[in-house]
Amino acid sequence: MDQILEDFISALRGSGIRISISESTDAMRAVELMGYGDRGVLKDALSAALAKSQTEEEIFEECFERFFAFDAFSNRKTDSAGPMETDLNTQDSLLTQMLLSGDNAGLSVAMGHAARQVDITGIKFFTQKGLYIQKIMQQMGLEGLNRDIKRFAQEDMKGRAEKLEAAKEALFENVQNYVERQYDLFASSATEEMIEQYLRNIGLSNVEQRDFQRMRVIVQKMTKRLNTLYSRRRKTANRGLLDFKNTLRNNITYGGLLFEPKWKKRKIDRPDVVALCDVSRSVKAVSRFLLLFLYSLNEILERIRTFIFCSNLVEVTHVFDEYSVEEAVTKIDMGVGLPIIMGRTDYGGALLDFKESWLDTVTDKTTVLVLGDARNNYGDPRTEILREIKDRSRRLIWLNPESEPFWGTGDSEMKRYLPHCDLVRRCNTLNHLERLVEVLMRTATLH
Amino acid sequence: MKWLNEEKFSTIERIQQGFDDVEYVCTKKIATTLYLAYHLGKPILVEGPAGVGKTDLGKSAAIYLQVPLIRLQCYEGLDESKALYEWKYGKQLLYTQILKDKLNDLIQKSDGLSESIEKLHQHDDIFFSSPFLEPRPLLKALQQQEGCVLLVDEVDKSDQEFEAFLLEILSDFQVSVPEIGTVSATSKPFVFLTSNNTRELSEALKRRCLHLFIPFPDPKLERKIIHTRVPGIPDRLRKQLVSFIQQVRKLDLKKVPSISETIDWARVLLLLHSDKLSPDLVRETLNVFLKFEEDIRTVEEHLYDFTEKSLARA
Repeated sequence: MDQILEDFISALRGSGIRISISESTDAMRAVELMGYGDRGVLKDALSAALAKSQTEEEIFEECFERFFAFDAFSNRKTDSAGPMETDLNTQDSLLTQMLLSGDNAGLSVAMGHAARQVDITGIKFFTQKGLYIQKIMQQMGLEGLNRDIKRFAQEDMKGRAEKLEAAKEALFENVQNYVERQYDLFASSATEEMIEQYLRNIGLSNVEQRDFQRMRVIVQKMTKRLNTLYSRRRKTANRGLLDFKNTLRNNITYGGLLFEPKWKKRKIDRPDVVALCDVSRSVKAVSRFLLLFLYSLNEILERIRTFIFCSNLVEVTHVFDEYSVEEAVTKIDMGVGLPIIMGRTDYGGALLDFKESWLDTVTDKTTVLVLGDARNNYGDPRTEILREIKDRSRRLIWLNPESEPFWGTGDSEMKRYLPHCDLVRRCNTLNHLERLVEVLMRTATLH
Repeated sequence: MKWLNEEKFSTIERIQQGFDDVEYVCTKKIATTLYLAYHLGKPILVEGPAGVGKTDLGKSAAIYLQVPLIRLQCYEGLDESKALYEWKYGKQLLYTQILKDKLNDLIQKSDGLSESIEKLHQHDDIFFSSPFLEPRPLLKALQQQEGCVLLVDEVDKSDQEFEAFLLEILSDFQVSVPEIGTVSATSKPFVFLTSNNTRELSEALKRRCLHLFIPFPDPKLERKIIHTRVPGIPDRLRKQLVSFIQQVRKLDLKKVPSISETIDWARVLLLLHSDKLSPDLVRETLNVFLKFEEDIRTVEEHLYDFTEKSLARA
């Protein structure tokens, strides 16, 4: 594949368009057919082969304009420095000659060439910009240029030396702009990926406001994957062996002839979830993401009922029915129109509230998720109610944002709740949440 | 596998001219994509708002190439038996009944069960052969000797399973029918898929297609389209109505009028023998290009303003 197209494709990838091998082959064949002659046609052709949605097309457009922008040299400084010299000394280095004669096209080509030599497409971080500028300058022959400037100064050609110095500055500026542009083209996605990796592992309680939008995108990405992963398994699990009993029973109508076989069906249940989330200040951020996560999994969960608690416990399922997930989470965050009291966290009281009004929502098919740090302000933990809930449910999972060494320290009642849970997990990053889904799906057994 | 009509795709200009002749205004972008699709042998995935001529592109391509158009309208629950092939159950049953005596003759002469089955086996595939096969659009498209244009309309409305099933056909132009074997195309069909973006299509499908996005046209292009489609309309009126529609598109409407609506409106105005827009005329004909009561009310608010501007511009 030719170098230009290859660079262009990696620039597109850098801007976030996913391009497969087969697509780049298409692009290559398109270029073979069309050639680089007509800019408009080339753009349309590459767009058809590489950009596969409206948004991608917009990105493509921008990228194309930037990539195929002519790297014209601006030389306002040398312009003002008087007429260009035509009598060139063969002693001067090639770069000096080009600068003195104002050969912008030549300089542009030399810069592009130098950039390729130092592998500009590998630029990843903005801190590397200076390095690349230096490298490109070196590659273009900075050494020779410096030597010439020195020599002119010594040989009593002050004017020439000054002029060359100005030209060197202009050259530096041009290279800087060029590297800047290349950085925009090639580096953005690498940084984006790093941020994503970082955010996946950051403690949810430490996420800053400015990263929320990004986190949401990551949650969407994760849940989309999980949704397809698990919903597909549910479908393929739908075949099995011959169910002989059922076949006999159903074929009585045909006088006992085994005419219509019946099959044993394997079916994976979708888990039915009841979530109890602590929304006191210490756990709020994590609750928020848990809810965002759970409700984005609507394709693999049968039903979710959600309760939030602090000093008391209230049901918020209806908020999710009414609004979109993100709106609902924000609404709950602010507590608008909900009879929740945001006083001291009272786990015992919350459990009692749950027992009195909603215990019958828990059946032997329900997975109960409790999210909280179990910091009960030294109140009565009422562990017996948790026990009761556990006995009624299929499974009770406690998610604690604190790490294990802190369980049971101070006012934390985690150690006392621990025996009444089927599973206790630490849950403080998006990766933890993702793993939670595996646990949830495993509890939904086959039968 | 052969390709149809090579010379009709020799240059981009040729394609543009050819589509103009069949009354489809083909922009350079569309022509370039068609050219590429032909030479790379790839299907085209056409996206864009409703009514900008996605389906029409397929139809016009069929007319231009002078080959049959085979259209598969997608909807939720569309499956292989509706899209690819089906056995003619009725015919199979009927034939077994008619041939009952023959079958009896065949079996009677033999003694024992195993020998009868043996005899039946010699003829077993008879009821599962091509005369009993009902080809549906996709299979039909592969069977066309002279090639065809296959239009898979609104592919986003179909289920994901169906989309996966399309992949084999789109990349190799062949399908496997278990009872018969693999059917491959004798001549490559020219495939268009259209999508309204009601859901995101899978990466795999997109990868196999060239992508073409048709946006709302700019005034110049729209005037040209009206000129081609409604040739009788006076020049001045044409400019006015296009300018009016362009302004309406900038409003926040439930359903923005697209090209097909502009054409309808132009036809209506032509029928009414009007020679220029006036607020009253527009008010009476608003329902031609607006499909919601709310939208009509919104546009009515701007009626005088818009009409005046369109009159001034033309």
